[in-house]
Amino acid sequence: MMTLLLALSLLWPLAVAGVVIWQTYRTPSARRDYCSVLWLSAAWPALLLAYGGEAQWTIDAWMLGGEWELNALSRPWLAFTALLWSVAALHARGYFATEQAQAQAGDQAAQRRLMRLALLWPLTLLGNVLLIIAQDIASFYLGFALMTFAAYALVVHSGTQEARLGAKAYLILAVVGEGLILGGFLWAAGEANTLTLQGVREGILTAEHGAWMATLLWLGLGVKAGVIGLHVWLPLAHPAAPAPASAVLSGAMIKAGLLGWISVLPLGEEGISASLAQLGQVMLVAGLAAAFGAALYGVFQRHPKAILAYSSISQMGMLTALVAMGLVAPAVWPLLWPGVVLFAAHHALAKGSLFMGTSISEHLPRWPRALIWPLLALPGISLAGAIGAGMVAKWSVKSPLYEMHHESLIKLLSWAAVGTAALVGVAVWRQWQQRHQGGSNPWQWGAWLTGIVAALATPLWLPLPADSVAMPPLKEWLGIMWPLPAGVVIVTVGGALLRYVNVKAPPAGDLWWLYAGVTSAVLVPMRLIARGCGRVKAASVLTSKQAEEALMGYLPRLLAAEYWMRHHASGLMMVLALLLAALLMWEGQR
Amino acid sequence: MNAAWLPVTTLITSLLVVVIIFSLPEEARRLRTTVNLLAAVIKIILVMLMVGRVSAGREDIFSFQVVGGVDFVLRADALGVMFAGLSSLLWLCTTIYAIGYLEGSANRKRFFGFFSLCVTSTIGIALADNLFTFLIFYEMLTLSTYPLVVHSGTQKALDAGRVYLRYTLSAGVVLLLGAVLLHYLTGDQSFSSEEGLSDYLNDHRGLLTLIFALLVGGLAVKAAMVPLHGWLPRAMVAPAPVSALLHAVAVVKAGAFGILRVVYDLFGLQLSIELGVISVLAVAASITIIYGSLRALAQEELKPRLAFSTVSQVSYIILGIGLFGPFGTIGALAHLLHQGLMKVTLFFCAGNYAEELGIHRIDEMDGAGKRMPLTSIAFTVGALGMIGLPPVAGFITKWYLGIGAIRAEMYWVVVVLIASSTLNAMYFLPIVHRLWFRLGPAHGQGQWPKEQRLGRLETHGWLLWPMVFTALASLGAGLLAGMPFSPLDWATRVATGEYLP
Repeated sequence: MMTLLLALSLLWPLAVAGVVIWQTYRTPSARRDYCSVLWLSAAWPALLLAYGGEAQWTIDAWMLGGEWELNALSRPWLAFTALLWSVAALHARGYFATEQAQAQAGDQAAQRRLMRLALLWPLTLLGNVLLIIAQDIASFYLGFALMTFAAYALVVHSGTQEARLGAKAYLILAVVGEGLILGGFLWAAGEANTLTLQGVREGILTAEHGAWMATLLWLGLGVKAGVIGLHVWLPLAHPAAPAPASAVLSGAMIKAGLLGWISVLPLGEEGISASLAQLGQVMLVAGLAAAFGAALYGVFQRHPKAILAYSSISQMGMLTALVAMGLVAPAVWPLLWPGVVLFAAHHALAKGSLFMGTSISEHLPRWPRALIWPLLALPGISLAGAIGAGMVAKWSVKSPLYEMHHESLIKLLSWAAVGTAALVGVAVWRQWQQRHQGGSNPWQWGAWLTGIVAALATPLWLPLPADSVAMPPLKEWLGIMWPLPAGVVIVTVGGALLRYVNVKAPPAGDLWWLYAGVTSAVLVPMRLIARGCGRVKAASVLTSKQAEEALMGYLPRLLAAEYWMRHHASGLMMVLALLLAALLMWEGQR
Repeated sequence: MNAAWLPVTTLITSLLVVVIIFSLPEEARRLRTTVNLLAAVIKIILVMLMVGRVSAGREDIFSFQVVGGVDFVLRADALGVMFAGLSSLLWLCTTIYAIGYLEGSANRKRFFGFFSLCVTSTIGIALADNLFTFLIFYEMLTLSTYPLVVHSGTQKALDAGRVYLRYTLSAGVVLLLGAVLLHYLTGDQSFSSEEGLSDYLNDHRGLLTLIFALLVGGLAVKAAMVPLHGWLPRAMVAPAPVSALLHAVAVVKAGAFGILRVVYDLFGLQLSIELGVISVLAVAASITIIYGSLRALAQEELKPRLAFSTVSQVSYIILGIGLFGPFGTIGALAHLLHQGLMKVTLFFCAGNYAEELGIHRIDEMDGAGKRMPLTSIAFTVGALGMIGLPPVAGFITKWYLGIGAIRAEMYWVVVVLIASSTLNAMYFLPIVHRLWFRLGPAHGQGQWPKEQRLGRLETHGWLLWPMVFTALASLGAGLLAGMPFSPLDWATRVATGEYLP
């Protein structure tokens, strides 16, 4: 039964993609429905699979040997990923309704865009599902690569200047990331002679250069997860991508990097070497730097989705810091990881809803304001930890840290939550400023509401191990909730103070512009060198040609000599005979 | 039981085709096609028989004495059968493709005659059991390829042909010199002899190194290793099926295969390591890989870019040898097949674009995905495979090479591999992007350089289906690498059965 579900959850998205192609060639454009019910259902088998229970599969014929598993970690992960994909697909049906109408009316460009999106959406989903269940390196890498490259179409969808820039940044960093991941995997798997993620984890733990392997993998996967320095694609790609694509990008896909870390880094293992612990500290610092830096930079942005992208970087920074604890203080990890999963799941759904919300504020439904704006803010409030699942998630990572006496980290995380609150506040405010009337599609707001409900109720449906998360006790509530008002107050006061100062919004993508500048500066001397090499080559070809011609010039002279000899044959014979005779005579004398 | 007839018949099958084709008149198109395809199918069956026998542990040998001390020997061993399998499979594909490609053009008799002769030579190279036999077919390959390269007869083609002959014939002389020296030292040296040349190590160390340098140096010209690669990009003027054959199985691969034979069968891995020549090979291969990729990046036309990509990719095979370990060996052998499948796909695609739409330059490819979806999908598969992304076959070899490098503690090789993949991504992804994401004539912007409507589908069926098949094969070779008789499985069998201690 589980095997059937597994096959279905992998083949169903493929079949959906196939149907999209079929439709493109067979259905007349006026009746083409790009987000049909079938298309919406692409993620449903995977969702069912997550609730089917734990299972294991080994497929020898698959690439280097397939090892797939649904375990305590991959089940909840698959659950929230598939749920977000399903909700985002529902949202997409509403979001693209106008474009679909254009396409049916005969707009070629809209047809092309929608077809591309409809085709690559299920493929991206397939990659995401595969990498979650994969326990062997090849399948994981396949899923990761498929998701990464197929998602290019989701980012570039609108085809505008910004979308192309965002997609370009996304792709360049993705290629860099793939290279780093491959290097890390090759190194670790080669040393440990293994083909599974479990083997890589053990290999890193025992290998001499384990910390360096771990660094490569951390950075490579960190491109997706938005590690500071490699995060630049997020604020460029998110504002340009359509809302449902941003939702899955920020909710599900960047979590793939996090899952990769949890799968390959020896978190919570006994006997972690000093250098690995050091890497943990670096990760911790990088995570916190991202958490605070992104918040500081993000609040000055204008585009709501750019702000939300920075919020994602900030949240992933917190998660990075939590994962780093698995290396710095291994004892805390067994208690901490369910909290991390819950945190990730809640962030996925909440951020997904926030991104879907941006499309709601662009097409406000005719509802009372007092209803819409709190609803738009609700996932953000939860994200800051003040209500619902956010509170539980915060507590479920805090309480193990309390138990193991890491108070300073707790304090820092709380302050980072102030940043979250501030970012969400600014985001909602910017949405308010840039709001548009004009009726949302029921699919659009329906999916958005579903997302909010799912986000707020995350612990209720997430198949975590029993008793691993709990409601915080009442006396802790204040300690968890205070960042929200603090953040909102800071933003309000700051906003009021800066009102009369003309602050220019710093460009989204911060370091990207620096990287771009450095790269083009480096390219200049390289071009010069290449031109020089070209000249050297041309010169050497010329010299060898001349040498060859000179050599060939000797040939006629040789022939001339031969002619001369033929001409004087008789004389030469005489000379030869005389010489021979002389030689013989000389021989006889001795 | 020794089925000596098997290797000979395989060879004769394609040789007979040559004779028949040359004796048929130019107009006998249908008969020629039938004979060609029939022979190709028969040959595949024969090779499959050989595969069966080799996997059952039997090696068929056919031999006769030419003059005292020099024998003509054909032997179906695992490595040879692997190459023969690739050759016969791709012969069928390229022949079908060539029939479609040359529809209605002149001099088809000459073309198919030499085409078959070319394939006969590769079979001979695959099954040759000593250096003498190998050399015969190797030189035969050189000569039979020339008419194919210059087929169009334009000045550019003739120039390219002259460059090709210069490179390969002088390489042939160097190779011959090496072979003669070796013969002088050891007498007739079979590829299958167990002891190898290690007996001579103590007394003739310098001479052995010289022989190795001569042999590999001679072979490296066909394998297009930098700086001996100059002929390959020039030879791009040849018709697409010739380029496909040249790059995937015939000439370039013959060189790489020869180096495999020299290192594994003639000298033996142990001896090569003791001579210290293996590391040199690895370094040379790495330089070629990076240089080829860099040059490919600078090309503006499709076929030269693919040609430089071949320069880079074929050296993966040499690199695999240079890693002197089981993983490197398996990677090298598997890449022999994988690269063949992927490159042939890419060249078929390039040919299709050129035939159907007149596209030669990369910037003319905008939006071609809409006009020729199957071709573009096949191209995408091939390109992703060249980058080394799963699930295409290229990933498998890159994985094995990388693991081999780590096991051999040659960490810099991993850097080379990743740099090469990144460069591959840099020159293939923009093409893929152009195909699918840019707007072009198919969207009503501009015009194709020279559009023809060759078939009911996106192009002529004869051009389409071989390409679809090879694309599927390169996908399958990666996705189902764990299956018995997959390229990886066979490479593992060859490596563990013959070359590893």
